[in-house]
Amino acid sequence: MVMNHFEYFAPRTPAETLELLGRFGSKAKILAGGTDLMILMKNRAIQPECVIDINQVQDFRTIMCEPGQGAVIGTNVKLAEIQFSEALQAKYPALSYAAGEVGSAQVRHMASLGGNTCNASPAAETPTPLAALGTKVVLSSQSGDRELPLEQFITGVRQLGLNEGEMLTRFILPEPAPRSACRYAYMGRRDAMEIDSVNMAVNLELQPDGETIRNIKLVMGSVYPRPLVSQEVPALLNGQRLIDELIETAAAAAQGEAKPIDDIRATAEYRREIVKVLARRLIQETYAAAKGV
Amino acid sequence: MKQLIELNINGRNYEVAVNPRDLLIDVIRKKIGLTGTKKGCGEGDCGACTVLIDGKPELSCIKLAIACQGQKITTIEGLAQEDGSLHPLQQSFVDHGAVQCGFCTPGMIMSSKALLDRNPNPSPQEIKHELSGNICRCTGYKKIIEAVEAAAKVWSQEGVK
Ligand SMILES: Cc1cc2nc3c(=O)[nH]c(=O)nc-3n(C[C@H](O)[C@H](O)[C@H](O)COP(=O)(O)OP(=O)(O)OC[C@H]3O[C@@H](n4cnc5c(N)ncnc54)[C@H](O)[C@@H]3O)c2cc1C
Ligand code: FES
Ligand code: FES
Repeated sequence: MVMNHFEYFAPRTPAETLELLGRFGSKAKILAGGTDLMILMKNRAIQPECVIDINQVQDFRTIMCEPGQGAVIGTNVKLAEIQFSEALQAKYPALSYAAGEVGSAQVRHMASLGGNTCNASPAAETPTPLAALGTKVVLSSQSGDRELPLEQFITGVRQLGLNEGEMLTRFILPEPAPRSACRYAYMGRRDAMEIDSVNMAVNLELQPDGETIRNIKLVMGSVYPRPLVSQEVPALLNGQRLIDELIETAAAAAQGEAKPIDDIRATAEYRREIVKVLARRLIQETYAAAKGV
Repeated sequence: MKQLIELNINGRNYEVAVNPRDLLIDVIRKKIGLTGTKKGCGEGDCGACTVLIDGKPELSCIKLAIACQGQKITTIEGLAQEDGSLHPLQQSFVDHGAVQCGFCTPGMIMSSKALLDRNPNPSPQEIKHELSGNICRCTGYKKIIEAVEAAAKVWSQEGVK
């Protein structure tokens, strides 16, 4: 199908972008990598009156990742850049790994981190590790910026907590705590070009004794309308040393929280099984990794 | 509604009149007449339409032509030498029988070039991972992977551009 006619803008600065957004509001769509947007427009699922291409805005393309200072990642940083950035690989291996598992090389060179979040697909790869890492999104409009934890920004399937005239401009990742580790895993029918049937990230921090869990955050993707942050796993594991029975109890608790659906990719029953398998594996892996650092 | 834009393709500038909604694949094939780049699915899934934009592999079927101004686009036609001799990757695909119907080949070669430009010594695993967005229904992939591995050897020995 041919796309509808639209007006095309390619602003060069954040201020120009926000001015256009303020002017056109919901009549405009932001174009980052276009790997979601172009397909929706080609199918005429959406027909925006104007398209604001943000690829000329250098500010949206920068990664700041200095030792000891967390990271700030611009909304239009491409997933391939996150996959290959040595600084991000060293500090946030779960995020680099997840970015490198999206779609194909071509998709990763086009697609942006912001687009992956703003598409708000429950099966998206990167919101899961971002949420586990405690990432905040910065939402900007002509009237200023505000920050929101990522898991509060994605409110449902294709639903975001964005006001009219507002856009996501950058991600703020906290510096990983000492004695902590974050890992990501997913399950799909095949390795490449496959939408996940379940994905998960676990971020685990140990107390100074190097044995007791101070804090664990387990986030699940594809089993709920938005990234699902487990409440029960931290309640069970914080303050504990990890023993096998506890891993089983925690994995079963995560399984109980997941509310997956049947769809073309997997049945709900299968997804629930996988939640348990991934939870068990990731809790063990992050615990071992946190002890190692 | 048409706008005059300039596209740099294979080192040459082309002036073309486009609608904002015109896709790069259609402009390259129909307006400029470079038909080496293929259109398969039109939805980002098959990789037949892969071109390099500033050296990175991108899908021309989901890319607006108007968004490519000021960037360097390379298509399969841009790889052979002026005298017509093939690029080592092209030669390797021929030598290894990695081409059957040939429909996937331009996209495969552009993705392979992007990979070898970034990492001239990829493992077979990395070749598979980075080429997973290029679908071939003829060869069964084995010969394609072999062709890329062989080209990589030439690459690291001779420093191909
Ligand atoms: C073949 C193929 C395979 C894929 N495989 C995967 C996969 O394995 N895993 C996965 O997670 N995804 C996958 N995707 C989906 C897609 O590639 C990702 O969601 C990608 O990260 C989207 O980023 P983008 O920059 O291309 O977004 P765009 O398409 O440019 O934008 C997506 C949406 O977000 C809006 N938007 C973009 N940026 C902003 C912003 N800064 N502020 C507000 N709104 C914004 C746009 O208006 C649009 O509605 C695949 C897509 C294709 C075509
Ligand atoms: S034609 Fe572009 S990916 Fe299939
Ligand atoms: S050679 Fe026919 S599709 Fe690959």
